[in-house]
Amino acid sequence: MVDSSIDLMESNEILKKYPPEKRFTLAILQDVQKQYGYVPRETMNLIAEYLSQPVSEIYSMATFYKALSLKAKGKYIIKVCNGTACHIRGSNALMDEVAEVLDIIPGETTSDGLFSIEIVNCLGACALAPVMVIDDKYYGGMTKEKVKSVIEEYRRAK
Amino acid sequence: MKIKIDGNLYEGIPGETLMELAKRNNVEIPNLCHKIGFEGQGRCRLCMVEVNEGRRTKVVSSCVFPIKDGLEVVTNSDKIKKMRKDIILLLLLKTPNNQYIKKLAEEYEVTAPERYEDLTNTEDCILCGLCVKACEKMGTSAISLVNRGTTKKISTPYDDSSKDCIGCGACAEVCPTKAISLEDKNSTRTIWKKEFNLVKCTSCGKYYTTKEALNFINKKLGEESSEHICESCRKKSISKKFKESYKDYASHIK
Amino acid sequence: MSSEKRKILVCCGTGCLANNSYNVYTKFLDRLKNTSIDVVPSVKSTGCNGLCEKGPVVKILPDEISYFKVKESDVDEIVEKNILNGEVVDRLLYFDTNEKKRIVSHKDASFYKHQNKIALRNIGEIDPQSIEDYKERGGYMALEKVLFSMTPEQIIKEIESSGLRGRGGAGFPTGNKWRTCFQFENNPKYVVCNGDEGDPGAFMDRSVMEGDPNTVIEGMIICAFAINSNRGFLYIRDEYQLARKNMQLAIESAMAHGYLGKNIMGSGFDFDLEIVRGGGAFVCGESSALMASIEGSVGEPRAKYIRSVEKGLWDQPTVLNNVETWANVPPIILNGADWFRNLGTEKNSGTKVFSLVGKVKNTGLVEIPMGTTLRELVFDIGGGIIKDRPFKAVQTGGPSGGCIPKEHLDVSMDFDSLNNIGSMMGSGGVIVMDDTTCMVELARYYMEFLAEESCGKCTTCREGISTMVKILNNITNGNGKMEDLDLLESLSGTIKDASLCGLGKTAPNPVMTTLKYFRDEYIDHIVNKKCSAGVCKNLTSYSIDKDTCIGCGLCAKKCPTGAISGTLKSPHEISHDTCIKCGTCFSVCPSGAVVIGGAANEN
Repeated sequence: MVDSSIDLMESNEILKKYPPEKRFTLAILQDVQKQYGYVPRETMNLIAEYLSQPVSEIYSMATFYKALSLKAKGKYIIKVCNGTACHIRGSNALMDEVAEVLDIIPGETTSDGLFSIEIVNCLGACALAPVMVIDDKYYGGMTKEKVKSVIEEYRRAK
Repeated sequence: MKIKIDGNLYEGIPGETLMELAKRNNVEIPNLCHKIGFEGQGRCRLCMVEVNEGRRTKVVSSCVFPIKDGLEVVTNSDKIKKMRKDIILLLLLKTPNNQYIKKLAEEYEVTAPERYEDLTNTEDCILCGLCVKACEKMGTSAISLVNRGTTKKISTPYDDSSKDCIGCGACAEVCPTKAISLEDKNSTRTIWKKEFNLVKCTSCGKYYTTKEALNFINKKLGEESSEHICESCRKKSISKKFKESYKDYASHIK
Repeated sequence: MSSEKRKILVCCGTGCLANNSYNVYTKFLDRLKNTSIDVVPSVKSTGCNGLCEKGPVVKILPDEISYFKVKESDVDEIVEKNILNGEVVDRLLYFDTNEKKRIVSHKDASFYKHQNKIALRNIGEIDPQSIEDYKERGGYMALEKVLFSMTPEQIIKEIESSGLRGRGGAGFPTGNKWRTCFQFENNPKYVVCNGDEGDPGAFMDRSVMEGDPNTVIEGMIICAFAINSNRGFLYIRDEYQLARKNMQLAIESAMAHGYLGKNIMGSGFDFDLEIVRGGGAFVCGESSALMASIEGSVGEPRAKYIRSVEKGLWDQPTVLNNVETWANVPPIILNGADWFRNLGTEKNSGTKVFSLVGKVKNTGLVEIPMGTTLRELVFDIGGGIIKDRPFKAVQTGGPSGGCIPKEHLDVSMDFDSLNNIGSMMGSGGVIVMDDTTCMVELARYYMEFLAEESCGKCTTCREGISTMVKILNNITNGNGKMEDLDLLESLSGTIKDASLCGLGKTAPNPVMTTLKYFRDEYIDHIVNKKCSAGVCKNLTSYSIDKDTCIGCGLCAKKCPTGAISGTLKSPHEISHDTCIKCGTCFSVCPSGAVVIGGAANEN
């Protein structure tokens, strides 16, 4: 997960998919995020050059949109929904439990690079509140008690 | 176009904003993020005024509000005064130690409630965005608004020295609260964590700009000149030339 | 017995998928491959049925039998009994808490009975990935009608007289928007769909995009034809993966069927549509920020003194409507403005989709005529409060809305009536709260949400909201002062009047409405240091009422810190030293003996 291991070949492949127009900035950044798990610094310059935009503009975008991050994230991203429906059905307690089990706070990544925790806004699965999502798999009606076993599943799968 | 501000009539130019009209006529509307020659931003919200377009009154920010014929504007109603005080209070809470904002608060008789004032806070930036606009106008765009919401700030990418920065200092020049640190020491300028070599004015001999800024401007203008003079010498030389031509003209008509 | 024309519909919306409905779907496919029946029923995955909490939902057509909470292991039984032998599997039927009985067809359940589906008409009935399914139910007939028998003027007139108002929140008349844009002649013009549904607690737009993507596309093409636009954008929230996928597939098949692209249906009209994926920013639901985002910039709103119908996307005339609004367009064109006008109230015609969530028995999507009362929504359709606890309030309109207390339960659910009592329709999120929701903490929650989601452009929104969060934190932590309430009120007024965009202008609503209707709770927190809902930990203590305790020992068993002691059949006691105020005892106690006290009780 160190920057130096970044293969810029992949970034170039991403750029090739889009015409060099400013309106594709976000889409390109999303693809880069997906490819590397974050937006590496080197790619930022590459995108700026490709789109003929100042680097500062690309940096603004990357820091404005929550879907993008400047730091590498874990292999599995645990999203705990803090939408209103989840909030009033106890998402705070759920969040605390996930944080305790992994020994990191939301926004951080475990030292083995396996998990990151994110508090996210409403995922639109309010009827299942409180909800937790790992890699697009939804866990509805979550309780503190279930957290450990769910995380264990992923730990074993690696 | 006739626009009435606080009871006085003014002639508006189509396409201009209320703030531009006010500034042109020396009508005072407090503001922090507006500068003549810059497009209005609507960031600081200090320029809120009440306008009446016939049926209803609404509150608008003058720096982005396009004027219309028959518009009636009130800049000093009780509602506006209260709003201004609240906005200054918010700025004071953000930058409790900034001299400019403190003075503004004093002027408008605003005091922060002690419980919410953090005097250890040394923030000076009120995020008016003028520096970003100035940098953009220079054609460099080395700095930008980054993050969002309460974490929003102005910086170079990664808070590092930027390859795009030419050290021209335009950003510091336009900053209303002197929040940008620009340090000229001997022949070196430090700004945005980057060091620059300064260049002397060929006329007065004082250091006045960076080599990068000079090169950038020369390149932009497409000229390569060995003569480079500072702003005050340039002014002097223009007024001198003007005086001389006037002398010629005066002697001519005699 | 014949299983001719039989269909098995398995809901594969996000809600049901979370409960493994995809496995149920594949199990049906698998199981039916090995049957000896002549005509194998078609198995379809459909969009959301609304009653997500009871998912996965499986419907058997044409019998109209609905099964809820179906597990993979139930598939064999459904096939054996129902498909092969025509018997109903009783245990999987829906139990109606209002009627106190099991119900065969979901259409008879109280939850669905009061509904009138227009925007949601196809959802749960069709395979969202099949354009044929959509066409079978009248899809693209409205488009054909406008292309070959209506003039732009007639289309706009029809939408105008239908009284359709924007379903995204503000309720601006849709026809009006189209007409203004139609009048500007500088091309290109754009048509935009706002699918950046961000209000926490609202998911109707997700459901429509996932379950009936073609209706959105058809609505957009109709508008494009009316205002003379050849290009459209669908801005979809980053978090909505399935919605993006189904929308993309729908666009591709609409292209293949000649409903999009060049010379649509041979009419000579061209229209291209593309999806833009959001980046995870709530503020991009604001129209000018959304357009900035499409243009490839950060989502900072601009002042809208010049409306986007004149200068919108790339400064060109643009019509922007939200998903639900678009979904209403084809039915209005097909059935006529009068039909739509007959539904709802005079100035609020048609239906509205609400997402009914929170502490209510039946949670899910509900489409009802405007003007239905809040009481009907919560109690008749929603079945009342979970565990029959007391109703406290409802929050409508998400973070920009306000809370509505008990005394306004009979408010008519429409744009104007909700505005009149200080709330707003918003996108239609209805979050039900009972006595265990702390209104001060709820206001703090919304403010914190908005502080994070504010774009940070203007002073009042950025600094104002974060200052309000600080004040509210003080109150919920037990450090509030009465003068804080004045400061909150003053700042609310300024943020409302002086902020740049709708996010800031409506941000103080949760605080203003809770201060208006639940001021006593604020005072309780500040003066009596008590949070009667037991939510603010610093202001809560639990104790057991000796006379009510039946000594069952359940609380002691469930207490995570062993803070409860006592012998069976005699009153128990809570040690304040070890109690972490998690509230488990309060929620498990069968006799209501656990009482909530204020912080003062501890000393």
